Order: sequence, then structure tokens, then C-alpha cells
Amino acid sequence: MGTNDMSPVKLKGVGDGFWITVDPQAPEETIKEHLILLFQRLRHLAINARVTLDMGGAPGCDELVAHLTVFLKKTFKVGVVTLPLEKRSIPVERTRQRDLSRGWKYHRSDVLMLQGRVRSGQKIESRKHIVIMGNVNPGAELLAGGHVIVLGQLRGRVHAGGSDDETATVFALEFRPTHVQIGGVSSAGLDEKAHGNAQIAVVEKGRIVVQSCLESNLFDALPWPEVM
Amino acid sequence: MRCKLKGRIIVITSGKGGVGKTTATASIGAALALEGKRVAVVDMDIGLRNLDVVMGLENRIVFNIVDVVNGKCKPSQAAIRDRRIENLFLIPASQSDNKDVLTPAGMERVGKLLKKEFDYVLMDSPAGIDRGFENAVVSADEAVVICTPDVAAVRDADRVIGLLYARSITPKLLVNRIVPEMVANGDMLSHEDVIDVLSVPLVGLVPMDQQVIISSNVGLPLVMQNDSTAGQAFRRIARRINGESDLSIQVPHHQKGMWGMLASKFGKKE
Repeated sequence: MGTNDMSPVKLKGVGDGFWITVDPQAPEETIKEHLILLFQRLRHLAINARVTLDMGGAPGCDELVAHLTVFLKKTFKVGVVTLPLEKRSIPVERTRQRDLSRGWKYHRSDVLMLQGRVRSGQKIESRKHIVIMGNVNPGAELLAGGHVIVLGQLRGRVHAGGSDDETATVFALEFRPTHVQIGGVSSAGLDEKAHGNAQIAVVEKGRIVVQSCLESNLFDALPWPEVM
Repeated sequence: MRCKLKGRIIVITSGKGGVGKTTATASIGAALALEGKRVAVVDMDIGLRNLDVVMGLENRIVFNIVDVVNGKCKPSQAAIRDRRIENLFLIPASQSDNKDVLTPAGMERVGKLLKKEFDYVLMDSPAGIDRGFENAVVSADEAVVICTPDVAAVRDADRVIGLLYARSITPKLLVNRIVPEMVANGDMLSHEDVIDVLSVPLVGLVPMDQQVIISSNVGLPLVMQNDSTAGQAFRRIARRINGESDLSIQVPHHQKGMWGMLASKFGKKE
């Protein structure tokens, strides 16, 4: 990517060492060139220094980190090269602590929650998740930016996940829609036989799969309740 | 209850065409008149009038509803008295205009005039949900939605019910043309299926009846024929509309053959 105008490497002193922010998208050679420029100015200060390499949390740059570590140690005789402390682990832990003590008391919901029957010709459009406590009749339409949950019969058209979110799901106590679309994947004419119980539709391998909610293990992988 | 208050305007509508709005309007109107009420039935299907034919009054038309709205005549001048039933009046539609000649404002004004003169005003709405529907509904206090037990009619009725709720009218449902044999065989939606989708209060169930076609061709009131099952159902519906809300709803049942009767007598399973 174009990083010509901005240096892919930034250096600042922190406490007992240096904090180097690296743009992992820049080519390795460019990064090294910039490192040389910076470290030449440091001269003897670099020797035996503590260096923290911050890749900006980007995944899959272990190899680059290893290369740069070797390069820095060899060329400038720095002492220790570390990655920044696992940043994400702290907020996750903190979030769970908070959930334990206070729950989601102050969480503001991103859900449009409606009760009553949605009739033919009515169109419910929202950028949020949609929850309907009631039935959705044939000819009615639900368009959600997120998930769709119908606590009742779902017999109309439903479109979850806006135009591109294929992780969205559609759940209904009685799943009989005429048409389901999740993100860009759509499906019509669902299997008649499987109808009539609580089912959930998800996108798997580019296709919409409808499965019994109790038998599916969709949520087993999540060990902790998370805000959607 | 008997003291004369202001009349009630009831619109009879369905969304879909051909489900029996006109027949229902004529029959319920006649039945209410037989109950002793002063009733006007108004054909709102401008350009496609046929309530006059169903009631056998087509050759007595002088003025029509468009003339009333345009101020060319008084409502009482346009109202044609039925040949057989004393208290029944028809205000026909115009056959030469189209529905855009009427405005909701004009209809609302005429509705108020009609309320003063009649106990019940039944508006026979045209099919569809456009201007004609709006004209028919604008002055209505109540609505009866006619639906036949098929998927298309249910969907259209559902749409109309939504539009009526939007005008804060809670409609009542009339399920027409039930064929009990087909329902028993699972070939037709049952009235429970229809109510399950539409979820509005039921006012009555009317069975399929060949007598309907005969009587609308010759212009005889269906409700005056004692051998007509549909006519009897409409009379009960009229009584229910007229305040007998605890009158039970009769479900058209399948007349089993001799073998079927024997089978049920002897407790045959299935």
C-alpha cells in the first residue's frame, strides 16, 4: 500500500527503552531502511536498549517480527526486543469482570424491538437488529442491518445483515419465510418438511443453512455472553 | 338500545376482487332491514357498478352517488327503495364516471348526511387499495373484511386490515365461500387458518352456496330464501352486527355420507 509520504516506522522513547511502531503492510526492506535511518541517529544509545515492536495489533506478522528482531540485535546490538504486552487480554478480562459485577446495566441496546403482528405490505427497515414479539405475515418484509429474531411465526420476507454482513442470523419460533437473505446470500423456497419449529438460519460456505435451534451448536464456541 | 341514535357506517371491503363483497353487502343490508332497521347500501365501485343488478334494481336508477357528492341531488333522491323490503335503500354507483371523480372530503361530507337518515349505511368498497378504497373507507365507523379461504385472498385481506388499523378502525372478519368437504379433506384452508394469520375478531362464516349465483342473477335477496345456507349465515351475521354479539358463530360442517355417519357412530378411528 502507498506509504511513501509517511514513514512506515516511528520511534519514541518510553521509560527504559524505545517503542517502535511499525506498519506491517510496508515491505520488509523499506522498514529496515527506515530503521537504519532512525537507529544511526541514536548511535550508542541503542546498545543494550529495550525495544518494543508494535505492529499495531495486525495479525500474521510473526515472521516479520522475528526478522526485525534478528536484524536489530545484529546491526545495532540492542538488548531485548519484545512485542507490546497483550493488549486485548486486559480489556476482555476487564469486560468480563464488569459483566460479572454489574452486568450490562448501562449498555445501550442496538435493537429495534417491536411487539404485535406485522401484516402484509408492511415493511420494517432498521440498521439495528430487529426483534419482533409477534407474528410476521406472508407479504410482510423485515430488513435489518443485524440479526433478526421473531418470537412467533415468520412467514414473510426477511433480509438480515444489511448488504454485506454474512455473520447475521435469522431466528424464528416458527420458521416459514417465503424468502431469506443474509448479507449478499439469498435463498427462496425453503424445505417444506423441516418447517414448523424453532429454527435459525446462518450462512455457511456461501449458502444459507437452516437448522433446528436446539440441535445446532452455533453458540457452543462462545464461552461467555457477548454483546452483539 | 332502541332509541334512535346516529347511524353507523360500515364499509365492506376485501382488497382482492371476486371474494363476495357485493353479495355480502346486499345480503347483510337486506338482513339488517328485515331486523327492522333503516338501511342504505351504497355502491362505491364507481364505473363498475353491480350492486344494483344483484339487488334487482337496475332499471330504477335516476341519480347516483356521484350526483350526491357533487350536490346535484339530495341523498334521499338518489336512494332507491327495495321492491320487497320496506327499509332497504340502494344508492347506486355511476357507471360512466371513474373513481377519481369522488374525493375523500366529499365522501366524508355525504357520509355525515347519510348517518342522519339511516341506522346503517353499508359501503360496498371496490377491489384494490387505491382512491376508490379510500373514498369508501373515509367516512366509515366500522369495517367488515371479506376473505375467502385461499392464500391470495388472505394476503390481500391482511394488507387491507393493516390499512384499516392505520385509520384506527378495528375490522371484523367474514370468511366467505367455505367448502366444508374440501376443508375436511385438507384441500382448503380452514377458517382457523385464516384467523390465525389475520387475527381480527370474527363476525361470521359463510359456506359456499350455489343459491348465491341464482339469486344475484335474478335480483332476489338471498336472505329471504330459507333453503339457502349462505343466506342463513348472512342473517346471523346481520344480527351479530346489530348488537347480538353473543350469538354463537356456526361453523359450516361437512355433511357426511351414510358410511361416514356409520363410521363415526361406531367409533372408527382415523
